[in-house]
Amino acid sequence: MNISEKTTQASDKNLEAMRHFSEQYAKRTGTYFCVDPGVTAVVIEGLAKHKDELGSPLCPCRHYEDKEAEAAAAYWNCPCVPMRERKECHCMLFLTPDNDFAGDKQEISFEEIRAITNHG
Amino acid sequence: MSAAAAVTDSTFKQEVLESELPVLVDFWAPWCGPCRMVAPVVDEIAEQYAGQVKVVKVNTDENPSVASQYGIRSIPTLMIFKGGQRVDMVVGAVPKSTLSNTLEKHL
Repeated sequence: MNISEKTTQASDKNLEAMRHFSEQYAKRTGTYFCVDPGVTAVVIEGLAKHKDELGSPLCPCRHYEDKEAEAAAAYWNCPCVPMRERKECHCMLFLTPDNDFAGDKQEISFEEIRAITNHG
Repeated sequence: MSAAAAVTDSTFKQEVLESELPVLVDFWAPWCGPCRMVAPVVDEIAEQYAGQVKVVKVNTDENPSVASQYGIRSIPTLMIFKGGQRVDMVVGAVPKSTLSNTLEKHL
């Protein structure tokens, strides 16, 4: 068994922070995770990685010319402005109940996230 | 095994812009959730339209030049190129029918 961590994953600390935030924010806004937990896991891992690298959970579903500048601008830091204003999350982390892809869960465990992101 | 080949900043011109066939390009990123949903759809399209359309993928994290050149913002973004020109674009995780309808317009 390979015990060395893949460098492509986020720190445990920030993964747990973003996992906890995602659960709390879904409950607070009445939104749900995707029926495919793989989507939720990958996005939370991506947010945590950006928090490791940039200090802010920049949206992992956008391409940026300059990630540092975008993180400082804060518009696409999760929860982004479109989410806060209109509950629009194109990353499909927070889905309103009427969305075809919305599941019935607002919780995901640390182990579940890592089990998915370990296998890409 | 993916039916869509990976294209990079250095091979984009040859593989996409100079292609004889129309090309569907899937711009994706490793930590983009919806990209995981659209990937199997793109693979199905590659198989269904084999010989008519070339289907490729660009990892925007590893290939920032081509992503920036085509103004990629939201990911996933699917672009259709014909004769070296971008002729259409679909943004987000879309159903297969949406993608095939868009593609059919350019065949």
